[in-house]
Amino acid sequence: MNDEPPALPPRHSFEYVPMDEPPTIWSVISALLKQPGQVVYELLEGRAAAVLGALALVAIASLALYGVVIGSLAGGAQFWIAPAKIVGGSALAALICLPSLFVFLCLNGADARLRHVVGLLAASICLMAILLMSLAPIAWIFSQSTDSVALMATLHILLWIVALGFGLRLLSKSAVIAWSGASSRLGVWTCIYVLVCLQMMTAVRPIIGRAETFLPSEKQFFLTHWMHVIGASASNYR
Amino acid sequence: MFDASKRLLRLLAGNAAAQRAWLDERDWRWAGVCGAVIFFGGGIYGATLGLWRDGLQAVFTAIKFPLLVFLTCGANAAFNGCLGQLLGSGMGFRQTTLAILMSFAVTAIVLASVAPIMLFLLWNTPPLAEGNALGGHSITLLAHVGMIAFAGVIGVHRLFRLVVQTSGSAPAARRVLLGWLVGNLLLGTQLAWVLRPFIGSPALAVEFFRTDPLRGSFFEAVWRALHHFF
Repeated sequence: MNDEPPALPPRHSFEYVPMDEPPTIWSVISALLKQPGQVVYELLEGRAAAVLGALALVAIASLALYGVVIGSLAGGAQFWIAPAKIVGGSALAALICLPSLFVFLCLNGADARLRHVVGLLAASICLMAILLMSLAPIAWIFSQSTDSVALMATLHILLWIVALGFGLRLLSKSAVIAWSGASSRLGVWTCIYVLVCLQMMTAVRPIIGRAETFLPSEKQFFLTHWMHVIGASASNYR
Repeated sequence: MFDASKRLLRLLAGNAAAQRAWLDERDWRWAGVCGAVIFFGGGIYGATLGLWRDGLQAVFTAIKFPLLVFLTCGANAAFNGCLGQLLGSGMGFRQTTLAILMSFAVTAIVLASVAPIMLFLLWNTPPLAEGNALGGHSITLLAHVGMIAFAGVIGVHRLFRLVVQTSGSAPAARRVLLGWLVGNLLLGTQLAWVLRPFIGSPALAVEFFRTDPLRGSFFEAVWRALHHFF
């Protein structure tokens, strides 16, 4: 006779159920990575304030840590300037894009409330920040091996794209869970958000390199700035 | 009970059954809400349009932008009503006008929601005082034309399910919406030209209307901006 109980069915990572533990920083990080559906549940129907606070703290700390790694290429004052710009720039970009996210979700059929949208956006930015922090050792190794701002900028953008992909995937899936009538088509908003983030990092430059002033004196669009960075790097190798 | 915010959420979600019921109402409150949304939403976005040139231009454009929408809606009401009935929309003149007003309300909400993004663009655009003022003007013009066109298409698209219901067929609904879109675009763009300046040319003074409003056309201006940008 077989005494072993039957195996439990595998738990779906987007199961919309309450969190198993009280919302602390560690439990929120764990749930965000393993059971994001639980975080979405808490944000919409549970202990929203506590979870939102934990998400904000984790996002700020993770982005600041990644900023320190970015600043390590130039060293000196960039050790605090880069984290400040990364955290401030990310928060401002999220704030700028929040109204359009709310409206786009409503256009997709979601019966959305602004505080719910704030929560879901915070969760996706927090996931992105955690992933960036986990990629920080890779970025740090490269920053210690090169002086090239162009190379480091390319690497940071690639790492950011990877993290952003996961963050936006969470946002899209969360929208489907939260508002079953809503489709997950957020393509246009995603394009806008990516453009705003890229431009934000150009507007608060330099983050990787060094400059005389805290903020740039000349206004540039990110493509123009990118061409300048690549052009300057190419001329150094001639 | 009349709940304006719930109605606006249903409008954004494209809830065709609710929209159809609103069309049959003999109550002007809903039309008033749509008008107010156009006035405030369009006004907020209009202010971001004029801000690059001057603070006074922002105030002028905040007034003129909703005015442009109301003029387009009013002046095209007869044409849209006729076209809708010819193409089988299943709506009368009053219903067509209300449907188009609702579509413009959606457009105004979308535009108001992207106003912070356009302010951010403004922050990054070379200011009027710098040497590249013409470049700044071209960027501002192209970005706003693109954004307004996008929001306009969303506004019309929100009516799709409603017109499918009233007309009874998707191909007929597509024809009706395409007809309304082209008609409103054609009149709206030229009215925008007549009511200019919205952004304000770097070389010209800040004014509510130009002294020669009927000279030239919108499409020529966009062509010149594209030519300058590329």
